[in-house]
Amino acid sequence: MSTVNTDDIESIEVLKDASASAIYGSRGSNGVVLITTKRGKEGKTVINYDSYVGVQNVSKKIDMLDAYEYAQMSYEAKNNAYLDRNPTGKPTDSNDIRNKGVGAPSTLIQPEIVPYLSGQAGLTNTNWQDAIFRSATIQNHTLSISGGKDNVKYYLSGNYLNQRGVVINSGFKRYGMRANVEVKSGRLTAGINFNPTYSYHDLIKAEGPYLGEGVVGLALQMAPIFPVYNADGSYNFGGNAWGYGATSILNPVAIANQVSDKLSQLRLLGNAYAQYEIIDGLSYRLSVGTDINSFQRDYYRPSTLEIRDRKGASTPTGFSRAQNFVDWLVENTLTYNRSFGQHTISALAGFSSQKDRRVANELTATNFPNDLVTTLNAGQVTSGSSDIQEWSLLSYLGRVQYDYNGKYLLSGAIRADGSSRFGKANRWGYFPSVSAGWNVSQETFLKSVNWLSDLKIRASYGLTGNFQIPNYGSVSLLNYSNYILGNETVVSGLAPGNSANDKLKWEKTAMLDVGFDVSFLRNKLNLTVDYYNANTSDLLLNVPVPRASGFSTELQNIGKVNNQGIEFTLGTRQTFGRLRWDASANIASNRNEVKALGPAGDPIIVAGGVAGAQFITQIGHPIGEYYTMINDGVFKNQAEIDAYPHTSTTRPGDFKFRDNNGDGKIDFNSDRAVTGSYFPKYTFGFNTSFAYRGFDLAVAVQGVQGHKILNLIRRYIYNMEGNGNLFRGALDRWQSADNPGNGLVNRANRLASGSNGEISTWHIEDGSYVRVRNITLGYSLPAGVLSRLHLSRARLYVTTQNPFTFTKYLGFNPEVNSRPDSALSSGEDYGTYPLARTTSVGLNLSF
Amino acid sequence: MKKIALFLTAFVGLTACQKDFLDLKPLSQPNVDNFYKTATDFNNAVNGAYDALQSSNQYGNDYNTVIEARGDNVLDNDPSSSSGLRYNIDRFIEPTTNTVLRDTWGSLYTGINRCNLILDKIDGITMDATLKARYKGEAQFIRALSYFNLVRLWGKVPLVLTAGTTTEARSYIRNEVADIYTAIEKDLIAAAAGLPASYTGNDIGRATSGAATGLLGKVYVTEKKYDLAVSALTNLANGTTYQLLPNIADVFSVTNKNNAELLFSVKFKKGGTIGEGHGSWFGTSIGDPIEPSLRAAYPAGDKRLPLTVMVPVPTSINAVPRKFYDELSSTSDVGNDFPVLRYADVLLLYAEALNQVGYQADGEAFKALNRVRTRAGVAAYTSAQLATKEAFQTAIINERRLELALESDRWFDLIRTGTAVAAIKVTGITMPDYRVVYPIPQSEIDVYNNKTSFPQNQGY
Repeated sequence: MSTVNTDDIESIEVLKDASASAIYGSRGSNGVVLITTKRGKEGKTVINYDSYVGVQNVSKKIDMLDAYEYAQMSYEAKNNAYLDRNPTGKPTDSNDIRNKGVGAPSTLIQPEIVPYLSGQAGLTNTNWQDAIFRSATIQNHTLSISGGKDNVKYYLSGNYLNQRGVVINSGFKRYGMRANVEVKSGRLTAGINFNPTYSYHDLIKAEGPYLGEGVVGLALQMAPIFPVYNADGSYNFGGNAWGYGATSILNPVAIANQVSDKLSQLRLLGNAYAQYEIIDGLSYRLSVGTDINSFQRDYYRPSTLEIRDRKGASTPTGFSRAQNFVDWLVENTLTYNRSFGQHTISALAGFSSQKDRRVANELTATNFPNDLVTTLNAGQVTSGSSDIQEWSLLSYLGRVQYDYNGKYLLSGAIRADGSSRFGKANRWGYFPSVSAGWNVSQETFLKSVNWLSDLKIRASYGLTGNFQIPNYGSVSLLNYSNYILGNETVVSGLAPGNSANDKLKWEKTAMLDVGFDVSFLRNKLNLTVDYYNANTSDLLLNVPVPRASGFSTELQNIGKVNNQGIEFTLGTRQTFGRLRWDASANIASNRNEVKALGPAGDPIIVAGGVAGAQFITQIGHPIGEYYTMINDGVFKNQAEIDAYPHTSTTRPGDFKFRDNNGDGKIDFNSDRAVTGSYFPKYTFGFNTSFAYRGFDLAVAVQGVQGHKILNLIRRYIYNMEGNGNLFRGALDRWQSADNPGNGLVNRANRLASGSNGEISTWHIEDGSYVRVRNITLGYSLPAGVLSRLHLSRARLYVTTQNPFTFTKYLGFNPEVNSRPDSALSSGEDYGTYPLARTTSVGLNLSF
Repeated sequence: MKKIALFLTAFVGLTACQKDFLDLKPLSQPNVDNFYKTATDFNNAVNGAYDALQSSNQYGNDYNTVIEARGDNVLDNDPSSSSGLRYNIDRFIEPTTNTVLRDTWGSLYTGINRCNLILDKIDGITMDATLKARYKGEAQFIRALSYFNLVRLWGKVPLVLTAGTTTEARSYIRNEVADIYTAIEKDLIAAAAGLPASYTGNDIGRATSGAATGLLGKVYVTEKKYDLAVSALTNLANGTTYQLLPNIADVFSVTNKNNAELLFSVKFKKGGTIGEGHGSWFGTSIGDPIEPSLRAAYPAGDKRLPLTVMVPVPTSINAVPRKFYDELSSTSDVGNDFPVLRYADVLLLYAEALNQVGYQADGEAFKALNRVRTRAGVAAYTSAQLATKEAFQTAIINERRLELALESDRWFDLIRTGTAVAAIKVTGITMPDYRVVYPIPQSEIDVYNNKTSFPQNQGY
């Protein structure tokens, strides 16, 4: 989507029910989004200029400890680790004494924190988030010309977007153009839509925990006692290979600035079509579309950047990666439309074929002699790879629609889709659908009811399919599993990487949708209500299998899931003199329930980002609930420990895990419980706009309520180990039986006891939020002024996106999901890019 | 009407020529359907089976925790990283959900499945008979080694000898320990017959008949079948194919791989992005991982003691025991080979078996044991010092600890001699009796979900 210029979009339509999406293909399992781009209209040539310039900032920073608080906490963590191991020791013991007594570096006090402990003023106190985030500009310009004359209609546009990233040294630029041209000659209509785009990304690894050099995670964990730069202007790497049992943290500013990671993308999105009316009412249409994408990415990590756990210059590494996607789609359709008196019939038959081919090449190099030349020719190429993948899809479609006097509407459709991804015997899926509508307000008995302006009742039932699996998902592929023989010679080996499943077939969803639209008081108030009930069967899931088979999971069709929900939309349109007011509010609630699983109905348990972060899918429950220990705060003193089951290493100030099965023992398997779900209880939205004379004001609000997030970043920034910086909530920690803090936060301890790090409800948070998405204020020049300026329209506006979010969630953004493709383990936050708040001024001009 | 007919013909015509359109084969990865056809395929498949041994879940890393840290040679003093994942194993408090155990179990069966596929398919293929016998022997050797590790770690485990589907795998049961040992013996006897005594060039490092025979001897000693062990090991121990290197440190040197003492090692290579190296074994920045009792057990002047000393790794904050010292490559990995079976081990096994068959003052068993001792620079034992079968046995087990420290051997010696609980107690850790075998990984208990055919080990 990032290559599509929003200024070129005429409309976006979402088709949810099975019948409406039937002709748009098998990928309609989750609804179809139809994007229609602008085309020319008959008449005078129109020139539009749309532009905005703005500033982006992160919408949230996480409140971390400052250098003094960090030093104090780290000191406490070291002492607790020391005293746990050496109960006769004293917190004032020097490192020499500690070394003799215990010998573990993790119990030694880092000399760097000592000046902070005495509260000496004016020491380094770096806010690492401020160091990597910035105010970043964004600007976008689109110039378009459109019109139509003598059977030719055209829309041409050019676009430039330059968006700098809110993380330093990142950004995105896009140059695009579009030509939509249509020609009509007698019974023939033909056209071309062509949209080439070139985009350029200055990439930065922002997401993920600190281990993978995600700069946001590093900025959170980096100790604030280190400066960004040394006195001589070089980067400070004090947090790396620090010793004293500290986790090595690389300077995130150095990584952001010194790693060069550039991605360019050329996309040619095009479509040519011709339609011929064979006889009145009967048309044939041929459409050929292509989507050609070419990516080139070049990465270089210089010698001046240290690597984890190693001091000093590193060996530079680089890679160069090219990917080319060619996707084509040919559609043939015959349509027939005819009216007989009150009866209107429309029939359609279609056939389409689609093929996608991806070619990827990659080279990796190292041992660059210096950082002067960063392309791979300067280093030694150490590995190369090349990969080609394809998929194809064939579809047949038939649909008949009947309309009686605009009062009764009936439609029936069937499509057959064949996908290359499934086993030979199961490639084809068949997806019928029917729908009916009744325009009740057209009935004579309602014509006289004045307060009711419109009433429509509709119902549909149909099947849709899903084939979103790997391209060769049913085949057992061999991976390269090389070995070393002889005099350190690499010999090539091959071994199966996944099991074969030739029974793999389409996942199907049978969906019933019933709804009505009603308008009152001359359409001033309208209400839409929809109820749906969708049963998905043969879900395509990676299911755990016995490892004695040689594999840990297998892609299988398994189980049944039901989704039921209801959606209300209430809108109003009012005019008070010259003031026009539009408002619309919607609320939706969905219930997800697993109905069947495998032959024996056993629950499926899978792990998320870390092993202890488990998800359970079981019959009668929503899919993929969190399955963890329950945390009941901390043990405040030894008496509390003695009175309740605990782990063998638990000490006062450690977490109190719930003995959920009541067997008097804490067991990190049998004491697990269902501890929440990523499915919200309900979602809602509210949009309103006002127009008064030339002014317009619009506000959009959106909210999601009642879902839980598994915030794994708490493993690092809320672990109380003091080896990296911590969230400010650490100030509420347990410090002694007399000073137990808020009873929720465990004691500081570099070598945590009591299995405090075990994933539990400590890591699960309420993700509910309400967000003001957008506020826009505009002013359009009045007609009189416009004509003097030879303009047909001129509007100036100020807009702000994501200005406010109301949430208790600790992370950057409650709209998070580390693994959007995995239904069995959704809702995890393992480090995300913060959402930007953008304020811009814009201009729309038409000539 | 003619026009309509024309269009319909065109329409149907367009749809008809698409017969193979959906029949797409993987282009860049071979698949099981078109593999296992030629001698080259089997060569690649066998290399892939060795690769499983290299896995970080086996010799590549995790045996250092699962086998060595479990015993009394090595300690893990870090209860915080990954919530004490490895610490818990060292302290005998690991839950059934421990993922190191789960992944080791999985990796062993991944290797077994690779061997099963080779052995299932190779008989139907025409190729050079010697080569075929060798490929089979290699697969049998790797499979036997994998089951030998599995049965010692978990006791009763599924005995899978042909590759099954994942559906078939759901009906696997936990086979009797004796049946598993029978299968191991059968594989090793067949492998010893089919494998060559040595290799040349780029085949050096593959399993040899000597490696199969030596491993068979170790299996027999583990089973207390001492007569069979003596007959399996006699030729090896008295032969010259394998030798003690004069200087023990040379056995482990990264510049002296494939030396004459090694019957079988898992091979690695550091550097680059080839992924054939491993992290420093027992490398740590948070303190000395060697149990003080191990170092204390070495007599004065023992050349094996310095091999347990922690050596700082340049440019890193880690230190590693000298036995597995290697400098970091530019990609921060190292390339030590893992010595799975070496001649010193063969001599000690031979001595142990002889003594069990019948104690003989200053006999063959003494000679074998003393060869290992004198090479390490310590005085030979005399029958005056070890006057009984029991005294000799105690000395042998102690010698194995000193000689094979850090080589994933000690824990298995402790459990096969029934001395684990007492030995662990010396390190200050309490080991409950039932923890002589590991818990079956919870993921497997969950996936079988059958308390009768797939129960958890007792006590867990």
